[in-house]
This record gives sequence, structure tokens and C-alpha cells, in this order.
Amino acid sequence: MTMPAPASQAAPANIWSTLARAVLLGFLLCLGILVIYPLLWMALSGFKTNSQIFSAPFDLPTGFSWANYVAAWNQGVRSFLFSSIVVTAASAACTVLISAWTAYGLTRTRMPAKPVITALILGGMMLSPTVALIPLVRMMQSIGLYNTHWALIILYTAFRIPFTTFLIRAYMLELPSDLDEAARMDGASDGQIFWRIMLPLCRPIIVSSVILHILFAWNEYLFAMIFTSDLDVQTLPVGLTSLMAKHGTNYAQVFAAMTISALPIVILFFLMQRYFIRGLTEGIGK
Amino acid sequence: MAELTIRQVRKSYGAMEVLHGIDLDIEKGEFMVFVGPSGCGKSTLLRSIAGLEDITSGELRIEGQLMNHVPPSKRGIAMVFQSYALYPHMTVRDNMAFGMKIAGMKKPEIEQRIRHAADILQLGAYLDRHPKALSGGQRQRVAIGRAIVRDPRVFLFDEPLSNLDAALRVATRIEIAKLKQAMPDTTMIYVTHDQVEAMTLADRIVVLKDGYVEQVGAPKELYRCPRNMFVAQFIGSPAMNIIEGRIVHNGGDHVTVEHAAKGTAEIALHMEEEVIGRSVRMGVRPEDLSLADDGPHIFSGTIDHIEHLGEVQLVHLDVGLSNQAVIAKLAGLLDLARGDQIRLRTAATSLHLFDDQGERLNGPAGG
Ligand SMILES: Nc1ncnc2c1ncn2[C@@H]1O[C@H](COP(=O)(O)OP(=O)(O)O)[C@@H](O)[C@H]1O
Ligand SMILES: [Mg+2]
Repeated sequence: MTMPAPASQAAPANIWSTLARAVLLGFLLCLGILVIYPLLWMALSGFKTNSQIFSAPFDLPTGFSWANYVAAWNQGVRSFLFSSIVVTAASAACTVLISAWTAYGLTRTRMPAKPVITALILGGMMLSPTVALIPLVRMMQSIGLYNTHWALIILYTAFRIPFTTFLIRAYMLELPSDLDEAARMDGASDGQIFWRIMLPLCRPIIVSSVILHILFAWNEYLFAMIFTSDLDVQTLPVGLTSLMAKHGTNYAQVFAAMTISALPIVILFFLMQRYFIRGLTEGIGK
Repeated sequence: MAELTIRQVRKSYGAMEVLHGIDLDIEKGEFMVFVGPSGCGKSTLLRSIAGLEDITSGELRIEGQLMNHVPPSKRGIAMVFQSYALYPHMTVRDNMAFGMKIAGMKKPEIEQRIRHAADILQLGAYLDRHPKALSGGQRQRVAIGRAIVRDPRVFLFDEPLSNLDAALRVATRIEIAKLKQAMPDTTMIYVTHDQVEAMTLADRIVVLKDGYVEQVGAPKELYRCPRNMFVAQFIGSPAMNIIEGRIVHNGGDHVTVEHAAKGTAEIALHMEEEVIGRSVRMGVRPEDLSLADDGPHIFSGTIDHIEHLGEVQLVHLDVGLSNQAVIAKLAGLLDLARGDQIRLRTAATSLHLFDDQGERLNGPAGG
């Protein structure tokens, strides 16, 4: 007969904690719906006709016809997607490799005036892209890169190096220097230490940096809009805007195009969820 | 000619000098141990020899060749790091092969050397594992294996046992001693803060303190004839008892010291100068003290505390000094208890005498 006593004492506390958990769960559920529903609605609307979108905006599509998706794809989304992939992939590779090599130099070599150089590089984070816009346009025009993928690749790389270097440098500072010293005793050169010891050891932060860069480059609008003018070099954010301007009334097709453009990031997210979350916490300076 | 000569080596970090002009000669095939309290510059000296630190001034020669500006990998040196520093993303085999691959050695040769090292260190079964999947002792052996395959002239160890538990530490210490026997031509330099490791492993010991060499010598020599009070108290456990005193009589072949614990002691020592009244410090090792029943004694007092170690007991004797007890290592069978009054004696030849700067004045006979 000793069992009921503690149970009745514990009961009120249990009710409150269950309630609190239920409220929290409900809140998270609402948040989730708030984020996911519009995306889902957009994707589903891509399967409707334009009139259906207006007559029954919240119904499920009557059939899953890919017509809008195919039309959007052929209306230019294919080329925007290609541009986005090229610009994002190339600038991600350049940014991360250059930043990692810079971080290696800043953390592992005995260069003179290291604090000054570090401050100079990291100070780049303060530079607002808008301020530099006009000189950059002139510069790109004069070296003939205006309206090419190269313009975006170079700009994205240049503007993201300070931040990415900052991330990787912080990580490298934490790594014990024994390992690269051991490699030095083994006769490895700086290049070999970098490629064969440091990069593998820095994999978590490298992956995070790549993800953060992809998020940035995939969605970047300002530079993309200003430095490209032809449809065949425009990236998705700019391309979609021009698509909307052209087919402003065909919402079904616009929604299909948007869904296609969001899809790669969503897939990437599910593949690399683990790194994504770390990347984001790393990005806010954890 | 010495394998390794160090001349007036200084090392500064910014304005702070860490090594203050070190001179050392290390012979070929010697097992040399650097010992000293933490922060005294042992690792810095070792890393300077390895080439991981540039020396600020002075000369480092290996087999007569100036090494100051030779890169680490070209010095014929291998190093076992305190943390082992195994490459975590490589298997044991790749860890050992890394340096040889970089040197462009042929595959069969690499494989043969790895197998040889794995045999010596009983690592054959673990070659395809990653360091993560090994125990502390196995990682330690891999680190040694990575050094062996390089076939170095000089082998450097930086506190290699400090990450192991007590039992494994003793076992690994013995393995290292055997490894040394198996490689008689290889010079080994071993850094530790543990004087027991130093005493058991070394051919010769270098005692360092605050970036100065205090004494260099064979373990027995440091034990019997410490050059100063620091070495006297650092080598040997428990540490030597040191009591302040004053010389009151010079008897030609011995002097008599009146010490702070209200006793006198005769010390075998021949002194020419006028020494009466000179203030000195008298040292006696706990193991050199024994019970003096009714005969002459140098200390008398009350037992304050006893630590039983089985075979021996460490008796802390309150001799009337406020800040210091005299420790004696007495046979474990003696029937002693806290509060007992006892007297301790020692031979005139086992007393050490230091001047008020802590420099040695005498040696036990034969020392
Ligand atoms: N990279 C460094 N920068 C500045 N001071 C250092 C550096 N490495 C070691 N020191 C200082 O040098 C002294 C000796 O260090 P170390 O050789 O590591 O001592 P230990 O005898 O414990 O191995 C210490 O006071 C330490 O603080
Ligand atoms: Mg050290």
C-alpha cells in the first residue's frame, strides 16, 4: 500500500509537464506547418491550371500533369538552373579552397605581421557589396567579364572569402599542432601537410563552409541582377523574376519554375542535414 | 666525436628567454633523459633539436654537421609526441607509411619496414585499424613504430608515458628500455618530469630548471653526488631532508654542524679555509636514516605521521621545526606508532652539505 501515495503526489507535476510538452509540440507543429505549407502549396499549384489556382486555391490538384513543369523548364528554367549550378559550384570550390589555404597560412606559418594580415582579411567582412557596386561594374566591364558566369564566380568568391576564412581559421586554431608537426618531421611540405593532413582533419568545417556558401550563392540576387543581362547567363533568382515579368499571369507555370529552383537546396538539405545544422550554428558563431 | 653537440643554445619567445645558453654533448647510442619540473624548458629543448623550433642563438650539430637551419625531416631524427599525434584519418599502416611515401620510397621496401616495426611492437594484427579503434598503449606503440620505420639516428620522446595509466606506464617503460637494447646504435633523448622514469631508463640524465642545466650525469652520480640542493631534492623519492645549520667545529677530516633541529652532526669533509660559524644546509636522504637507540644521533623528536608502504614505512618526525618534518624511510617491520619518541642516526659519509646558495660543499666519500 505504499505505491499510491507517491503516485498521487507525482500526478499534478505530471499533468503540468505533459501539458507543457503538448503546448510546445503544438507550437512546433504550427511553426512547421507555417514553413512547409506554402512550399507544398507552391509545388502543388504547379500541377494545377491557372484558372484552378484562382477558383480553388486550397484544393488538391485534380491530376498530376507535368505540363507546367515541362513548360517552365523549356521557358528558360533549364538554362537558369545550369547557370546557378555552374556559378554556385565553381564559386563554392574557389571560396573554400582559397579560404582553407589562407586559414592554413594564418594559423600554421611564421609569417611576419600576421595579426595585421589577419585583420585585413577578416576586415573584408565589413565591406558592404552595395558600396562597391559601381566600381565593380566598371571593373568587370573593362576586363570584359561583365555579363559572364565568371563575373559572378569571382565576385561571390571574393566577397565570401573573409567570412569563410574566419570560420576555417577558428577551427584550425583549435586543432592541435602536433599533427602537422609530426607530418613536418615525416618530411611533408606545406602543400602536402595542407592536402593530406589539414584538409581531411578540417572536413566538418569544410563541409559546413561549402553548405553556407551554397545557401548564399544559390539565393544571391543583387550581384546576379546587376552583372548579368542575357537570359543564358542569368541565375535562378534573377531568371525567375524575368520569367514572372514575361508570364506574369500564368501563375501555374511560375509556381512550377519556383519549385524546380527550390528543389536542389531541399534535396541537399536532406542529404546533408547533419552538416547543415552544424554549419548554421557555426555560422552564427556558436 | 659526440653524436649531438649543443653549444650555448638560447631560445626566446618574444622577449621571454626560455633556454639560457644550454651546453650538452650526447654520445652515439646513448639514452639521455631530460628531466625537470613542468615548464622548465624540456620540451622546448627537445623541439629545438628536432627542428620544430628555431633556436635563437647558439649551435646544434649532429655528427659534426651544423643543423640550425636544416629542416626537421633532414636531420635524421624521429620524434614520438606526448599526444602520439597519430593521423586520425589514416590506418595504422598508412600512419607508418606516410613519411616513407613522401620520401618516395618503393612499395616493397615500405611494406617490409612496416612489417619489421610491427613485429618488434606486436602491432601486426592492428595494421588496418584506425587510431580511434586502438587502446592507449597500442597508440603509443604505433607512434613508436612510426618513428622506427624512419630508421633515425636520433630518437626523441616527449613524455611518452604521461597519457597512460600507472600499470601500463611501468610496462611501457620496460618496453622502451628493451627497445633501446634492441637498437644499440640509435641515440635516444627522452623527456620526462618523472624522476623515476629518468633514473630507470637513462644512461645519463640532464636535470633542467628554469631553462638552465643544473647537472648532467649518470643516475647514480646524481643520486650520490647532487651538485646543488635542487638536484638533491629532485632526484630520489621521498625528497632529501634539508636542514639549516652552522659549522661549529673543523676536525680536519670532518666538520661538525649544529643544525636548526637542535642537534649536531659530524660530516666527513675536509675543509682548508676558516669555516667555523659559516651557515650551511645539511641534507640527508630518508633512506640513509636509521633508528639510533641510545647511541649518537642527529635528530630526535616525536613521530607525527606514518605512511606504511609494506616493505618500508615513511616516518614523519616532528623535530621542533614549525614548517618542516624530517622524513625517514625505515623498515616496515619496526613497531612504531604516532606519538613515539625516537632518535635517528646516519653515517658521517651519507650527509650532504650545501652552502647558503644551495651549492654542494662535499660529497659522501667516494661520490
Ligand atoms: N610557443 C610558445 N610561446 C611562448 N612561450 C612558450 C611557448 N612554448 C613554451 N613556452 C614557454 O616556455 C617555457 C618552457 O616550456 P616547455 O619547454 O613546454 O616546458 P616543459 O619543461 O614543461 O616541457 C614555459 O614557461 C612555457 O610557457
Ligand atoms: Mg613538455
